[in-house]
Amino acid sequence: MLGKLLKYDLKWTYKLLIIFYLLAVFFAITGRILTDIENSFILNIIGEICIGVTIAMIVNIIINSLMRSWVRFTRNLYKDESYLTHTLPVSKNTIYMSKILSGIISIFTSCITIVICLLICYYTKENIESLKSSLQIVANTYDSTIFSLLLTLANTVFLEILFILFVGYLGIIVGHKSNNKKIIKSIIYSYVFYIATNGITLLGIYIWGIFNSDIMNLFNTVSAPNINIIKHILYGGMALYVIYIISYYFIGKKQFEKGVNVD
Amino acid sequence: MELLECKVLSKEFDNKPILKNINLKIPRGKIIGLLGKNGTGKSTLIKLINDLLTPTSGEVLINGEKPGVNSKKIIAYLPERTYLDKNMTIRQVIKYFEEFYDNFNSKKAIKLLKDLDLEIDKKLTKMSKGMQEKVQLILVMSREAELYILDEPLGGVDPATREYILNTILSNFNEGASVIISTHLIADIERILDEVIFIDNGEIILTSSADELRNKESASIDEIFRRYFKC
Repeated sequence: MLGKLLKYDLKWTYKLLIIFYLLAVFFAITGRILTDIENSFILNIIGEICIGVTIAMIVNIIINSLMRSWVRFTRNLYKDESYLTHTLPVSKNTIYMSKILSGIISIFTSCITIVICLLICYYTKENIESLKSSLQIVANTYDSTIFSLLLTLANTVFLEILFILFVGYLGIIVGHKSNNKKIIKSIIYSYVFYIATNGITLLGIYIWGIFNSDIMNLFNTVSAPNINIIKHILYGGMALYVIYIISYYFIGKKQFEKGVNVD
Repeated sequence: MELLECKVLSKEFDNKPILKNINLKIPRGKIIGLLGKNGTGKSTLIKLINDLLTPTSGEVLINGEKPGVNSKKIIAYLPERTYLDKNMTIRQVIKYFEEFYDNFNSKKAIKLLKDLDLEIDKKLTKMSKGMQEKVQLILVMSREAELYILDEPLGGVDPATREYILNTILSNFNEGASVIISTHLIADIERILDEVIFIDNGEIILTSSADELRNKESASIDEIFRRYFKC
């Protein structure tokens, strides 16, 4: 049943997202072709505009991936369509899991599309060499390779977006437990959860700083932090995001399984 | 074991009681009218049975089990609103029902839809609300369920459509199944009812066999309803 639900959730999500993906790739290719043409000022300008549009599309893709996942979640579980969803012979856990997975998958494919667009726009031998040499310095400092450094950065960004997605899901579940102004309350709860979780993170880092002067320097000085500290914070951040995402998943699941009150 | 049983079932919204200590048993093979004025708790009761609301206290048992996967397999529910994804075509909706409900008879659904001269590849969004409601009714009645719950199926429709809806219900429900019809339009459905439940202010004020009630009060159910619910 999970597969069937997921199929319909993904169909709905991608109906619009796929258009944005294609547009982003189209503008990236057009921009790249036009900026590569030599001795044509006008075409180069148009190319730069296309690349600008690609960047706008990239932002749009991220926002839309999140928004469409939340809209699907709300419509399917609390609005008119919920009358069908909740009367399907499927457990609440399966319904919840389907929404979670469709959200994760759409965020993942969006990130892949973004990387592809950026490569189309900016991939040249010189750019790659220049990026490599810059990253090599950082990688050497971290006693790491360029690949694992990029992977760490990409993972952190991906986890941050997933964290926002899960905060939104939990906000919707809690917001729809009340009987009025459910959407506004969902937004407020999501915002509060986001701020509170980041507050807890900050508090954790501060407490860590009590025992580690390098960490405390982040709070006390404006000078650049020790590079090893950044490495710790990066890995710590990833671990924390994973913990938060899993926690929000289970809290949301528990709240959802307690039952719903549809409009 | 009763098909459906509500035990001391209550529902509150913002500490305001909507349903109060409902005790109810629904047997098999009956057509039951859940009758009451607007806003008396009929839809709330139906939503609780269908797991769309969470009880404040008490419980709902379907074949002895709380609402869940097993109860949803045997209940065919028609809500008072259009609940299908309007961007889907009728063919896609039929496929959806086929995929999720083992007891959905797609041939029956297609036949009933063709009787209405509906184009199967037409999107729901291009249909009138009335037509969407008919599609929903056909989908629900094409399931071979044990319990059909129809929430205000006659609300806001013209007399000819009411006739169509009642005929569709009567000629399509699964043999041996029970049907709960919630409505305040008694005159139209009283001829088909085996039992009646009157609900007012969130409480069940009367449950009776339709024939016994008519004989006892020497009046039609519609007249009795008007007496009970006189403003």
